[in-house]
Amino acid sequence: MVHYQTRLDLRFGALADTTRRGILERLGKSEASISDLAARFDMTLTGMKKHVRLLEDAGLVTTEKVGRVRTCKLGPHRLEDETIWMNKYRQMLEARLDSLGEFLARTKGDEP
Amino acid sequence: MTTPNTATPRAASVTTPAEREIRIERIFDAPRERVWRAMTDPKLVAQWWGRGNNLVIERLEVERGGHWRFVEHAPDGVHGFEGRFREVTPPERVSQTFEWDGMPGHVVVNTMTLESLEGGRTRLVTVSLFLTAEERDGMLSSGMADGLNESYRALDRVLASL
Repeated sequence: MVHYQTRLDLRFGALADTTRRGILERLGKSEASISDLAARFDMTLTGMKKHVRLLEDAGLVTTEKVGRVRTCKLGPHRLEDETIWMNKYRQMLEARLDSLGEFLARTKGDEP
Repeated sequence: MTTPNTATPRAASVTTPAEREIRIERIFDAPRERVWRAMTDPKLVAQWWGRGNNLVIERLEVERGGHWRFVEHAPDGVHGFEGRFREVTPPERVSQTFEWDGMPGHVVVNTMTLESLEGGRTRLVTVSLFLTAEERDGMLSSGMADGLNESYRALDRVLASL
């Protein structure tokens, strides 16, 4: 249960970056090596590795090392509209419960 | 007895017991009957449900099968929310469906349980069950790129609203 929440948070974090979204779009066309990606996004290998690792932790990308080349492709998880909706719904619900708590505190003693 | 601090109510816990469920537990410094009334009396609901936004309560028929429909006038636009009551057991349990006009067909079943605690406090447990289609965890393919971009756009909207 907690695991799911963590994975969800990882996915949101991983996607909150233009470069990482670009990487996913690129991998949607075909797999690519870290150095291909680094060249394409005009980054150092080290910088690209960091992005790829975040995407990998979130399950959005998988990598495989063959010889000296690490190849990246899209992973098993994709972000569904539905997942987004669930997260947005949770935030909304929490905000409303906060609001209810404030209302109850504000009107304390106003009873009947 | 210590005075419970509810000036800044916090989530006691948020968990996802199943992939389709969200459970939120809160403790309010108010007796159960008062919490129940705040959740079911239209005059009171209007004062908090909108989170500071103007709220129009078009319908609130708190009975099994009854309709509810609220329209929230938020800075980013007008949002309608509605559903029907599945179970109403004052003052301890209410179960209702929830739909947002922006995601028609994505129905959430919301079950709220109120429990009286010592010191005139109430524990409210909200379980939201998502009944939408199975999560499709399939492999991405290039053919899905349009859908992916749609998701990114939706994500951007969510992140912008955080």
